[in-house]
Amino acid sequence: MSRFAKRADRDTRLLSEADFTIVDTELTGLDEKRDTIVSIGAVRMNGSRINIKDTFYRLANPRAELKRESILVHGITPSDIQQKPDAKTVLEEFCRYCGDSVIVGHFICIDMEFINNELKAAGMQTMKNRTIDTFAIYEWIKKRITDHACFELMPNSNALYEISKCFDIPISGAHNSEMDAFITAQLFQRFMPLFEEFGIRTVDELLAISDLSIRGGDKFCKATETSNF
Amino acid sequence: MIIDEIVIFLQQTPPFQFLQEQEQRSIAANLSLEFYPKDTVILRQGGSSSDSLRIIKKGGVKISISSESGEDVAIDYRGEGETFGMVSLMGDKQKTTITAIEDTICYLMGKQEFMRLVDTSPVFIEYFLQSHFTKYINKTYTEMRNKSLFYGSSDHILFTTQVGEIAEKDVVTVLEDATIQEAARLMSTRRISSVVVIQDDGVPVGILTDRDLRDKVVSIGRNLKEPVRDIMSPPLIRVDARDYCFEAVLKMLKYNIHHVLVIRDGRLSGVITNHDLMLLQGKSPLSFAKDIENQHTVEGLIPVSRKINNIIGFLLKEGAKASNITKIITELNDRLVRKIIEIGEKQFGQSPLSYCWISFGSEGRKEKTFRTDQDNAIIYANPQTEQQAAAAAQYFEKLTGFVIDSLIKCGFPPCPAGYMASNPEWTQPLNTWKKYFSDWVAAPTAEAVLKSLIFFDFRPIYGDFGLADELKDALRMQLSRQKLLLGHLANMIVKNTSPVGFLKSFVVEKSGEHKNQLNLKIKGVTLIVDIVRLFALERGIKETSTLERIEALRDKHTIMKEYADELEHAFEFIMLLRMHNQLAQLESGEEINNFMNPNRLSNLEKKTMKDAFHLISKIQDLIIQRYKPFII
Repeated sequence: MSRFAKRADRDTRLLSEADFTIVDTELTGLDEKRDTIVSIGAVRMNGSRINIKDTFYRLANPRAELKRESILVHGITPSDIQQKPDAKTVLEEFCRYCGDSVIVGHFICIDMEFINNELKAAGMQTMKNRTIDTFAIYEWIKKRITDHACFELMPNSNALYEISKCFDIPISGAHNSEMDAFITAQLFQRFMPLFEEFGIRTVDELLAISDLSIRGGDKFCKATETSNF
Repeated sequence: MIIDEIVIFLQQTPPFQFLQEQEQRSIAANLSLEFYPKDTVILRQGGSSSDSLRIIKKGGVKISISSESGEDVAIDYRGEGETFGMVSLMGDKQKTTITAIEDTICYLMGKQEFMRLVDTSPVFIEYFLQSHFTKYINKTYTEMRNKSLFYGSSDHILFTTQVGEIAEKDVVTVLEDATIQEAARLMSTRRISSVVVIQDDGVPVGILTDRDLRDKVVSIGRNLKEPVRDIMSPPLIRVDARDYCFEAVLKMLKYNIHHVLVIRDGRLSGVITNHDLMLLQGKSPLSFAKDIENQHTVEGLIPVSRKINNIIGFLLKEGAKASNITKIITELNDRLVRKIIEIGEKQFGQSPLSYCWISFGSEGRKEKTFRTDQDNAIIYANPQTEQQAAAAAQYFEKLTGFVIDSLIKCGFPPCPAGYMASNPEWTQPLNTWKKYFSDWVAAPTAEAVLKSLIFFDFRPIYGDFGLADELKDALRMQLSRQKLLLGHLANMIVKNTSPVGFLKSFVVEKSGEHKNQLNLKIKGVTLIVDIVRLFALERGIKETSTLERIEALRDKHTIMKEYADELEHAFEFIMLLRMHNQLAQLESGEEINNFMNPNRLSNLEKKTMKDAFHLISKIQDLIIQRYKPFII
């Protein structure tokens, strides 16, 4: 999964000066062979600032059929997406929106896998942006901090909502990709001051711990093992 | 969807709540969000100015300045729904240091967006640049009223209907030279209960009512050919057509009349009657006054008196301001006391010496709300002989014992400190009272200061008001010669509170032992009362009610020239908040006290409250300057 981050040129930008795109997708299901993207939501962060003005939310008409159980999760019905553009159009816009920012998400490898599958299917270039996984970071921080309430309360949860609640982030608009991206962004925002404490100042340094954590536990990237689609 | 959440937040946050929803949405779409862990320095004094206005979504911040000695002095605390960084947005250097005192989340509004709102939205800039009180107090009241649990079907008619709306119709007039019979015939053909008596030139000089015909004609068999001039009721009590009906009610109560002339632009435009007002709303304060008048025994007064407490809830629901409510309660309580004294006089005969029944404390200031302790005393004329003195002492012992007991029966608890007329110390001839006062003024011991706070707000209720006036004059003379006591009062005022420390707990204390600990009386009402009393005593103002004192001082006192309006609004606001709070306690069966949970306040109320505290501390500073040698 770390191929997204393996780039020759180093990114020495300070975290406080980098742009991040926090992404969440909703899917027809979790089978990477058959299922496709229904919606993409993204929120921009300039350093530690979440920029409400610069958000992204699109519904796509998926190639695959909407499954009953996924409708129940994200609440998007077939009639909602009938008139929507296909994934190709949405992804073109999305790539433009991301630019060369660092992409952040909870189990971001899953989202990127589906995104890149779609891009390939449409005969387009895959995205090469660096990615940071908030769950990987959470795991990394958890090993190093014990005095934060959340780390005692929720040692083993991997779900975005469970972790966010521990950080006192309000959960609403459940399972909408825009709101979930917003929640993820707030979680990432809560991590920011902690990075400073650990001397992580540049994008490179942060990418290193995100990747390290993923390599240590590749299992997290198996889509079927998470419930958060 | 993110925006929807922010819009909901903005709708509870002044000044954004006053904008159109469309504007709120556009503001929301342009915000950004930042998180500051506890103890983060968000802006630093001397650092570059801020690029955004920050609106606190969650948490709280401390604003401090470094003194020359490098000491960090906290000057304010801001909590949820408040903003900071506005001044810095306009300047080139940050003038204060702003630190998160708990984990804090802020929305940031960019400078450009802020400037756009300043240019396009008057309400926005007013909020930031003008005195909060004068502009926002009515909005705060509306919010408070809407929030009140007791806001039911009633549409606060008394306070929203102008007199002109219900009473402006053809006025039936009769010339002052017309005979009684002519006037009576006119009233009966037109089926009206009153006519206005006018001069040749149309200027009204009196009013003739059913009651006049009954009391002054029929019952004594007066000649029907006499002119109405002889039996009409002067003086004419008027209200302006633009006044709210409440004013008319108050005048009827005060002057014990049922008809009030309505004047518009200086011309007679109608008559408003108690019947009009009764029709307007089912339950009127007027009916209570009537109930009191109709009783002849203390036993009869007890149920009526209990009802007076209920009227507060009714008036709050009607949307009355605090001063309106206290005016009505004072009027009704005064009537009750007078009635009881009258019953006492019937029982024990006339007093051997003329006397004046006085009230002091909150009753003296006309600021009584829900039942509080009795505070009363008697000033009587100086006895000329030993026998007179003995007879007076004996008489007043019986009378005061009766009145105090009756008041207790009517639900006014006795004063635990014994400041009551039944205590012989407080039923004394005028000369003794003058001596009390001059002793306190000359030697302001702690006890003397305490007593002067209580007694100097005295007000005559019944009997020979001249005695009370004479005592007031004597007090004024004493105070004009001896400033020591005023110095002590000033010292006490500035010692009462450390507003900044208090604001901190007010802003952020969400749990722990200080929860629910906003004392509206000690930290609000009492301070304003003490400040205004000090200024009134300085200037020899006779009024005792805080609002009347403010009014009288407006042109006579340098500090009050500037702050009269704001102080008046602050006082009204805190009083009203206290009443709403106490009513809520009463209705839920809790004990009535002065503590309020600040979390029950809306953001706008909190802001108003904080402005009130800032105002108080500003005036405290001015008092310190004024009384420097006395401040210890």
